[in-house]
Amino acid sequence: MTAGSDPSSSPGSSSPDSSPASRSAASTGLLTPPEPEPAASAGPAIRPPVTRNGVQLTLTALFGVVAVVLSVWRLDLEPAELTDAFGDLGRLLKRMWPPVFDDPGRIAELALETLLIALIGTVFAAVLSAPLALLAARNTAPNRAVQAVARGIITFCRAVPDLVFAVLFVRAMGIGVLPGIMALAVHSVGMLGKLFADAIEESSPDPREAVRSTGAGPLRELVSGVLPQVVPSWIATFIYRIDINLRTSVVLGYVGAGGIGFALKDSLSGLVYDKALGLVTAILVIIIAMELLSVVLRRVLLSPPRGDRTGRTAPRDPVKVSAPWTNERITRAVSSTLLAATFVYGFVLLKVDLRELLTSIGDIFQVGTRLIPPNFTLAGWKLFGAVVETVAIGVVATAVGFVLSIPFGLLSARTVSPNRVVYAVARTLIVVIRAIPELILAVVFVVAFGLGPLAGACALAIASIGFLGKLVADAAEEIDLGPVEAVRAVGGGWWAQLFSAVLPQLVPALIGNTLYMLDVNIRHSTILGIVGAGGVGFLLFESIRTVNYEFAGGIILIVFVIVFAVERLSGWIRSKVI
Amino acid sequence: MSTPDSSSTLSKPSTASDPGGEPAAPPTGPAGGAISAAEAVISTARLTKRFGTTAALDEVDLRVRGGELVVLLGLSGSGKSTLLRCLNGLQPISGGEVSVLGQRVDTASRGELRALRTQVGFVFQQFNLVGRLSCLENVLTGALGRVRGPRYGVLSYSRALRREALAHLDRVGLADRAFQRADTLSGGQQQRVAIARTLMQRPKVLLADEPVASLDPENAGVVMDLMFQICVEEGLTVLCTLHQIDLALGWAKRIVGLREGVKVLDREASGLTRAEVMEIYQRVEPGRPEGAGEGLPT
Repeated sequence: MTAGSDPSSSPGSSSPDSSPASRSAASTGLLTPPEPEPAASAGPAIRPPVTRNGVQLTLTALFGVVAVVLSVWRLDLEPAELTDAFGDLGRLLKRMWPPVFDDPGRIAELALETLLIALIGTVFAAVLSAPLALLAARNTAPNRAVQAVARGIITFCRAVPDLVFAVLFVRAMGIGVLPGIMALAVHSVGMLGKLFADAIEESSPDPREAVRSTGAGPLRELVSGVLPQVVPSWIATFIYRIDINLRTSVVLGYVGAGGIGFALKDSLSGLVYDKALGLVTAILVIIIAMELLSVVLRRVLLSPPRGDRTGRTAPRDPVKVSAPWTNERITRAVSSTLLAATFVYGFVLLKVDLRELLTSIGDIFQVGTRLIPPNFTLAGWKLFGAVVETVAIGVVATAVGFVLSIPFGLLSARTVSPNRVVYAVARTLIVVIRAIPELILAVVFVVAFGLGPLAGACALAIASIGFLGKLVADAAEEIDLGPVEAVRAVGGGWWAQLFSAVLPQLVPALIGNTLYMLDVNIRHSTILGIVGAGGVGFLLFESIRTVNYEFAGGIILIVFVIVFAVERLSGWIRSKVI
Repeated sequence: MSTPDSSSTLSKPSTASDPGGEPAAPPTGPAGGAISAAEAVISTARLTKRFGTTAALDEVDLRVRGGELVVLLGLSGSGKSTLLRCLNGLQPISGGEVSVLGQRVDTASRGELRALRTQVGFVFQQFNLVGRLSCLENVLTGALGRVRGPRYGVLSYSRALRREALAHLDRVGLADRAFQRADTLSGGQQQRVAIARTLMQRPKVLLADEPVASLDPENAGVVMDLMFQICVEEGLTVLCTLHQIDLALGWAKRIVGLREGVKVLDREASGLTRAEVMEIYQRVEPGRPEGAGEGLPT
């Protein structure tokens, strides 16, 4: 088990006493009494024992490095080309500057429309996800078959990118905001359903048991025993998803699904770059505003309770027995009323027709059936090349993000950053990078570098730095400071503290998040093709545009398999590391 | 599926009753045998509960009269909690018979079981409150057995129910905390909220599973006094597990001892001495070496 499975120790296993490594492995593995060791200077080198886990992880890491090298080679990324590209980008930015807001009223209207699409789509997704999550959670599912089906639906929704749904829905229902809303809703079920179900699985069984012991039935048991426990986590997930969907909804217009994206596409293809920068600025403003709003909402709705004073929590009126208006209750009432009002207002403003929603289900179903049976042969080897390119873009972007996010993240962690100025600069940079949707980056890079995978890889790489950087920073701020103090106590400097106390604690989070990032990047790189930034997306959108649904079905199936495989692989690696 | 032979193969030596013996004969103790089936509110006959191959309860016979206050004593793992949970069907049983308030629990349909549970209050060691909800809403969940449809939020319960819940909170001395989140209360206060929740059920029987095991001694005394006092006032039939012998001797009318799933004591509390009760806690069979004897070098 321990030494035999490791190819590197095979010489040692043939002649047991020749290799120090094999001896230490054997003695730890088999619990034999320790052999008398010679004096210190002549003793064998002390090495960690070779374990099966260690070998598997080393091989996986090697595999990862090989994958990155192959991906770089596949995308023909050369230093000269990169420096050229940055020159192009500079020239483009010069032509964009200064931004022009030629019709502020129209821009504001489009921005509002974009925001409402994201909001309504997320609300729909939450409504669909709640029952689905109850069916998919281990502890609330009626039986294993239902659980497996519910999990399957959730995985499918997550594996098919939102823009693919958008293109299909536009095809089925025609151009408009409704296909955009539905695309966001269906794809978001993939994340909301999973996280909602996880929250249910983490809830305590005790209150449920108490409710059951009062004689309540299964439904009341769920509503009174489980729901109150998971609501805070569900709200946090919901708010987070609105943020994500807002970033997607700004590009929905690219496929005719409403929002500000169409105007952006229009001004870029009309080479009106200053106007495009105006639109991009407007997009950044709404995204940052939404981010601030969600920070406030999260703090207000999810903050732990303050210690209450006796008497303040007594009922206002002993006859009506209604709750007193505490600050918490007021904010909760105000924010839920606002959400409901905005939702209704959005329905009216966007002229969403619920009947149309119902009739469109038939159209969508029809398009869905035309994807089957999938056909892989139409583009021949071009399809294979495009799939490889998609994966390569995801791998390279993740690798770049991984390498650069470590310094970025560490410098923007309050506990690690050498001083306040560095901390502030690094944090701000991460916030700004995170605010830019990766498809907007891709759009700009395509204009600067021309069509091709370089634009897509750069866009995803930059987005990855922002995303991973923030996660690294958050993880670094949560580490146990005891070991840092211990290293300082033995006289270690900043670098020693970093390598001996900080980084070892960050490894699990870093690996877990990087694998998650790979998962996200591969999914995103399948839709980069829509803006001409490489990958299988171009073929996919072309095939839908030219009504080759079977071929589109084949591509969607391939994307699904790749995303699923990456998810399983990352799950396996995470279970080994953490 | 569960034959008496399979249980007798387990390591359950001298105290276990003969597998083929009389069904209703209690193995020990004078008090148990005096109660007829008609006057028993809680009755178990040869109740057996197995988890895998270990028997948590081994042919336990127990009868409790209406209005009686019985305390179950025993080490952790002796099967006390399991016994209580078998009584209201939270735990399905492996063998024997259980009936409560004239309803057979082991053969009851889901509907019958739910109907029974509305009349059987249960107090948990860990209170089992929803920490995020207010005390009042936690108390209101006690009414779920008698209202229709799911409820979410205090205002989804009728005003009459809200008033009743507030009255129960008042009874446990926490009316002025009605709208405070339950998880901001101390352990003793939380258990009092849980008792109010149980009262909201208007139960006839109260099962209390180590109600004060997670509390400090002072709070434990307060909560026990409150709980037993209410039970006496309401004339409830009480079966309560404890591990504080002094509390047990102070309140119980009858004391039942369990050791490794077997009933080893069943007597009126008056006249019982501390030393007699302590025998329940004697884990080792006489004549056998101490615990891990075989692991020691000879």
